[in-house]
Amino acid sequence: MPYHLFKCSECIPERKEHAVIKGPGETLADALPLGYLNTIPGTISERGCAYCGAKHVIGTPMKDVIHISHGPVGCTYDTWQTKRYISDNDNFQIKYTFATDMKEKHIVFGAEKMLKQNIIEAFTAMPHIKHMTIYQTCASALIGDDINAVAQEVMEEMPDVDIFVCNSPGFGGPSQSGGHHKINIAWINQKVGTFEPKITSDYVINYVGEYNIQGDQVVMDDYFKRMGIQVLSTFTGNGGYDDLRAMHRAHLNVLECARSAEYICNELRKRYGTPRLDIDGFGFGPLGASLRKVALFFGIEDRAKQIIAEETARWKPELDWYAARLEGKKVCLWPGGSKLWHWAHVIHDEMKVDVVSVYTKFGHQGDMEKGIARCEEGALAIDDPNELEGLEAMDMVQPDIIFTGKRPGEVAKKVRVPYLNAHAYHNGPWKGWEGWVRFARDVYNAVYSPILELAKRDISKDEIPTDQGFVTRRMLSDVNLPEEVRNSTELRPYTGEFDNLACYKDKTYPLMEKRPAPGAAA
Amino acid sequence: MEALRKERVEQLVDYIMKKCLWQFHSRAWDRRNQNEGILTKTRQILCDEPVNLETPAERCYWVDAVLLAEAFKEKYAWLDGLPKEEIAAVMKGLHERMDFLTIDGSLNKELTDQHY
Amino acid sequence: MTCELMERPRAGVINPIFTCQPAGAQFVSIGIKDCIGIVHGGQGCVMFVRLIFSQHFKESFELASSSVHEDGAVFGACGRVEQAVDVLLMRYPHVKVVPIISTCSTEVIGDDIDGVVTKLNNGLLKEKYPGREVHLIPIHTPSFVGSMITGYDVAMRDIVAYFAKKTAPSGKLNVFTGWVNPGDVTAIKHLLAAMGIEATVLFEIEAFDAPMMPSGNHVAHGETTIADIEGTANAVGTMALSRYEGGKAAAYLEKEFGLPTIIGPTPIGIRNTDTFLAHLRTLTGKPIPETLVRERGVAIDALTDLTHMFFADKRVAIYGNPDLVIGLAEFCIDLEMQPALLLLGDDNTNYQKDPRIKALKENVDWDMEIVTNADFWELEDRVKNKGLKLDLILGHSKGRFISIDYNIPMVRVGFPTYDRAGMFRHPVVGYAGAIWLAEQMANALFADMEYKHVREWSLNMW
Repeated sequence: MPYHLFKCSECIPERKEHAVIKGPGETLADALPLGYLNTIPGTISERGCAYCGAKHVIGTPMKDVIHISHGPVGCTYDTWQTKRYISDNDNFQIKYTFATDMKEKHIVFGAEKMLKQNIIEAFTAMPHIKHMTIYQTCASALIGDDINAVAQEVMEEMPDVDIFVCNSPGFGGPSQSGGHHKINIAWINQKVGTFEPKITSDYVINYVGEYNIQGDQVVMDDYFKRMGIQVLSTFTGNGGYDDLRAMHRAHLNVLECARSAEYICNELRKRYGTPRLDIDGFGFGPLGASLRKVALFFGIEDRAKQIIAEETARWKPELDWYAARLEGKKVCLWPGGSKLWHWAHVIHDEMKVDVVSVYTKFGHQGDMEKGIARCEEGALAIDDPNELEGLEAMDMVQPDIIFTGKRPGEVAKKVRVPYLNAHAYHNGPWKGWEGWVRFARDVYNAVYSPILELAKRDISKDEIPTDQGFVTRRMLSDVNLPEEVRNSTELRPYTGEFDNLACYKDKTYPLMEKRPAPGAAA
Repeated sequence: MEALRKERVEQLVDYIMKKCLWQFHSRAWDRRNQNEGILTKTRQILCDEPVNLETPAERCYWVDAVLLAEAFKEKYAWLDGLPKEEIAAVMKGLHERMDFLTIDGSLNKELTDQHY
Repeated sequence: MTCELMERPRAGVINPIFTCQPAGAQFVSIGIKDCIGIVHGGQGCVMFVRLIFSQHFKESFELASSSVHEDGAVFGACGRVEQAVDVLLMRYPHVKVVPIISTCSTEVIGDDIDGVVTKLNNGLLKEKYPGREVHLIPIHTPSFVGSMITGYDVAMRDIVAYFAKKTAPSGKLNVFTGWVNPGDVTAIKHLLAAMGIEATVLFEIEAFDAPMMPSGNHVAHGETTIADIEGTANAVGTMALSRYEGGKAAAYLEKEFGLPTIIGPTPIGIRNTDTFLAHLRTLTGKPIPETLVRERGVAIDALTDLTHMFFADKRVAIYGNPDLVIGLAEFCIDLEMQPALLLLGDDNTNYQKDPRIKALKENVDWDMEIVTNADFWELEDRVKNKGLKLDLILGHSKGRFISIDYNIPMVRVGFPTYDRAGMFRHPVVGYAGAIWLAEQMANALFADMEYKHVREWSLNMW
């Protein structure tokens, strides 16, 4: 019986096809949860809307842009300061958000005039920013404002500014994923090909579907630069507006989050013939393989191998220290979309934890295919989970830790399951070799928290050890470890800095000689 | 022989499913191209056949094929010394199986969507 | 030397201070026991509000969505409400109260949520849930009207109006807190208990500060019962602490049931707490006890340690919920500080008529501006481009970067305060709140002196 109907959802039997237990010997052709269907109202689903998928997830990480939402203030306010996508532009995109402040009179009489005034005001207030993205909302979509026309008019009057319009109202699709799609397509339709970049390398890529959470992009960018590769643009974390207009000039699109950004890669492939290469930036093995693939494409594989050797030597003893202590811990991998498959296999391979459940809030069936293919047998896979199902699932699988969002993390806390923030991270970045150790460290710290141990004690019933003034994490984690692991002189816990991004500032890279592409060599 | 080949195919399928992403592009025709492009090149590498690297698209298939062939050789000792024809036969079986699991037998309802 | 009241002069908002109406209605919803609100609109209108509640309280709260998608937006989405109610009732058997909260999208498309409620009452509830107590309450909170403040005010009024039922006098006093924290409710209840007043406190949200229990089954939720709300009609009177959050409900009860009613001021600071106690005495006839005289004395003693030496003439900007901002400004003035800028984040025209604002305009003897319909740019622009000098900012976390980027110390107060730990646990009201606020402000100034090496040595001897 691969499909799983939660007890709490017996009264909504259509939920049955949204959850699957990965049975022994079963394949994806035997069972696959439904996905990306309209949400059942009243379930207390965890999904967001298509506006947030466009503005909040993909649009706003662009760093040199006035992000303005055409609608009442709520959409803007609610999605503001709830993410950790940083930038090297003094975090302009985090600090400033703009709303046209649509009121009742605008609903009645239209809001185009006021939109134009808004645009001009915003550029006046931020004279150093020359780009703008206008996001439609439910309200402006329903009253039928022609945002494109207003943007065009302003661009004609203000030749030094450029405006992108994203028409993705909140109701447009079953979840935020509808917005990912719309903004991808809108960007390539409106902006790609309208700017000619400075090409500084013989090897040029777009790094796509990377949002620079806690500096992930900075770390990955460093690897590419060390190989002499020019990252022409990042879509969109730490990404520059003009760089992203020049995406058509890259030789290769390196795709990280295929859930949110495959569309633009597919279109770039179709329109400009740029190949799409899907990679995993997480985990030693997948990351190393990813860098090698990118390097191989350009005929510079030795450069990737050098990085892999250096980074592995530096960080492997630290990763293994944690893996030895995390072995067999049960994980609910409950992110929004892509972490489902980016992490499902590699946390098992490299941190030795078991993924007992995967879910996706807004993923499609293709994401579930990847996630289920990669997770352990017996794992429970859930599409569009809701509050009660999440609780029931935790009761079923009894996880030691859950990787999920901030608010569902609070739910888990109450059943004494520690959580790590799968979207924003705890102490990231988690990409890169060091980042992966930071992730392992965060997992370890959560699982072996002395406070968690105390949370499980019922002082009214349980024996209280009165001779204990404290417990260290090591006292909890090492109790059953073999002597040689516990006292290993090779393994060590994380030795990096609290802020491990400082070293990338002002870093310089040597100029690298050109090599012929592998086609010519072969 | 048939059973052994099938067993070997399943091992390779298992590796791809767990470690790779290229087989899961979002549309059926796209998956067919990916399977064809990458698995053909993998076979060519494993069988020491010439590999076409003329276009960027070919090179992109090839990079996945290089790592796949390398992993297969490293992980599956039975590949070592297997006659070329048998490798090709296993790879053919693998290709068919992958086409089934990711396309023809796939339960993914979005595969037939006409648009990205 | 004037105090000027003005509106934001720009059409648009750069960094909003408030969110929109449905958020206020949702805050009311989570305060009621056995209640889960359904927000009729896109999913983001719920998901992000739940997120911000969880950022502020570090708890998760239950709120549902009717999940309006494209088809609903085009053809009408009343059916989504019907389905949402049914699904919610089936899966949450304890739920009795279901506010149906509208949003901009469903108001624009003209979904008749009142009609849906009537239909459900006559159909679904009778047929499928006979004998089950279920209250469906339509709440109209289009996002393009008012703000989260009016959303709270409207939702509370509609819920009180729905339930309030005149039976026998209860002898209790209604106390409407407004949009506050668990720590405030505790402080208010402490003052009421000290006065020997039995009260119905709307809303009972102390349990928002929920424990992690060995049984592992705890969900944070408000504890105001249906009986509590029904009983508001039978009270000896209503004391509303906040003019703009709960004032409408108080006015409703006054008009409908003739309850003696006092609205405001919010008991922030010593003077306003004294006024609050005086109002309690008026409404109940109970004397102010010696214990509170002593408690007040402790607060006065604490403030005296700080006020002339450290607070005098410090210039402060304050933003957030209107009653909070005004209360804080009044308290700061008593502490010898100079509120230089007050920002109220919506276009409520009643601010002009607010007696407290009038009093500021008439009496302030330094340059002060009060901006309504304000955004954060009204603060930042003044600091960055117009030479406004500030010693302190009081407000919620959304304004944090102004403090960070312009090196102005800030005390987190109001909603939401996600970038400081446990702020919801502490009161700003009552004598306890006065101590907490003053000492937070003092410590913020002290830390700033030390970071900047400005007269940091002066704390050697204090």
